[in-house]
Order: sequence, then structure tokens, then C-alpha cells
Amino acid sequence: MKHWEDFEIGETTELGSHRITEAEILAFARKYDPQPFHTDPVAARASLYGGLIASGWHTCALMMRLSVEANRREQAAATGSPGLDSCRWLKPVRPDDVLTGRTEVLETWPSRSKPIGFVRRRIEMLNQHGDVVVAIVGITMYRRRPALEEAAS
Amino acid sequence: MKYFEDVQVGETMRFGRYEVTREEILEYARQFDPQPFHLDEEAARQSLYGGLIASGWHTGAMFIRMVCDGMIAGNATVGAKGFDDLRWIKPVRPGDVLSVESEVREKIEGRRPDFGTVKIESRISNQRGEVVMSLVSLVLYRRRPSGSA
Repeated sequence: MKHWEDFEIGETTELGSHRITEAEILAFARKYDPQPFHTDPVAARASLYGGLIASGWHTCALMMRLSVEANRREQAAATGSPGLDSCRWLKPVRPDDVLTGRTEVLETWPSRSKPIGFVRRRIEMLNQHGDVVVAIVGITMYRRRPALEEAAS
Repeated sequence: MKYFEDVQVGETMRFGRYEVTREEILEYARQFDPQPFHLDEEAARQSLYGGLIASGWHTGAMFIRMVCDGMIAGNATVGAKGFDDLRWIKPVRPGDVLSVESEVREKIEGRRPDFGTVKIESRISNQRGEVVMSLVSLVLYRRRPSGSA
């Protein structure tokens, strides 16, 4: 199990990849972000974006999915997030883009009141051309290593 | 139509009514955030949160739905560049009813002659008036086309 104590500043993680389909873009947008450039391929062509693009909140949701899978691979004791410092949607995400992610630990600090610690990291999602489509600085909470285990290690 | 020029720093908006269901929490979590406290009633009870809670990104998605339905009609918005200072302050649970209060914080002219950026702070509250999430969005507004009133 990877606890808060095991994270080091500068440590990087590669997230997996996800090919986003037009059907996924439309389904997410119709439920949560029904703006024409997310829900209507024809209207989107005439928009600022020149074609259908994914909701930025959809791109973030996919980042979350890939992060959960990475935590699972690392057996990291993630326990939620208090929030994000910043999120920038830098490039449009279009149907059939293949998104990958990478993260870098910027800072770690312990909770004063709970048996958890915080990890601040930069997270970037890139498309198949290597363009960063979303850049995030966010905070994740991890459980601390139990005292007994600490003594034994 | 409300253009960049028409937006006033300090103006406030209240909108939205989103009923959060258990089914939707589970559906979102299965697809995008399959952590035990979003997905599994029993595991959630034993977690830090004492019961099932919505993914924070799901709350974000419900927020943008309320924005689409209640705020952007009649506004010349063309999406957003992103946001700053997003805080998940309180858990969102099944049965909660969410609504939004927003306030225009700042207008940024930028370099583009056709668009400007408006910083809007939003607080999403539950039915008890507790703020569950807050953020500062960077919303893109079209400028008024020359010649139109």
C-alpha cells in the first residue's frame, strides 16, 4: 500500500490513455453541458471551435478516471480531494482524440487533525499530437502509514 | 443579448435547482470516479465520509448543467478557459438539492478584439444553505459587434 509518506516531490506518474468517441462527447454534453458546440455537430461547425468539442468537464472526468486507475495500480491510499488551485482548458478535445495523462508531485504536507496527508501535483492531459489539452494543479489526500507499520519498516 | 461590455463587476445571479439522486451518483462514479466512497454504500459508511458521497467532479458537472439551464441564456458566452480555486467544501449526498449563487469578480480585456474574459465566483449550496463547492470560472464573452445596440 502506498501511503502519504511514500510520495516524493518531483515524482512523476504516467496515466493511461483513453480514446474519446463522438458518442461519448454527445452523451456527456446532453446530460451535463448542453451548449451547441458540445451537443450538435452541425451547429459546432459554425461555432468558434469549427467542429464538435468535448465539454471541459468531460475531459476532467476522464482525467479523474485515469487517475483512479493509476492509484489502483500503485495501490495508493487515496481518500479524496479538497480541491484544485487551477484548471485551464488549453486546446479543444475532438472526437477520436486519444488522451493520455501525466502527473508530477509539487508539494506534500500532513494534516494537523486527521491521519492523512496532502499531495499537490500538476496534472496534464495530452492529445495524440502531444498538445496539452488541459493543465491542472490539484490536491489529493492520502492516508498516512499506520504507526505500527511505521515502526516495523 | 448580453455582451462582454454589458457585464458589470459585482453583479450577482442566483439560479439552479438540481436534485441529486443515488442512481446518478453511482452512474457517474462507475463511469468516471470509481472510488469506494462514491460507489459502494457499505465501504462509504466505513470511510472518512460516513456514507455515500458524489464525486467532486460530478458536483462540477451538475454545476455546469445549472449554468447552462439558468445562467447563459441571453448571454454571449462561448465557453470557458478554465477555473481557479475550486474547493470541495462539504460532501454531496443522495437527496441533496443544489443551487448556485454567482458574482462577477473581474473583467479582463485581453488581446483579442472579439472576446473578453469574465471571472465569475460561484458558490454551490445544498438545501440547508451549506456551501458544498466554490470556484472562480474564467468565462469567455463575445464583445458587442460594432453597429449593434
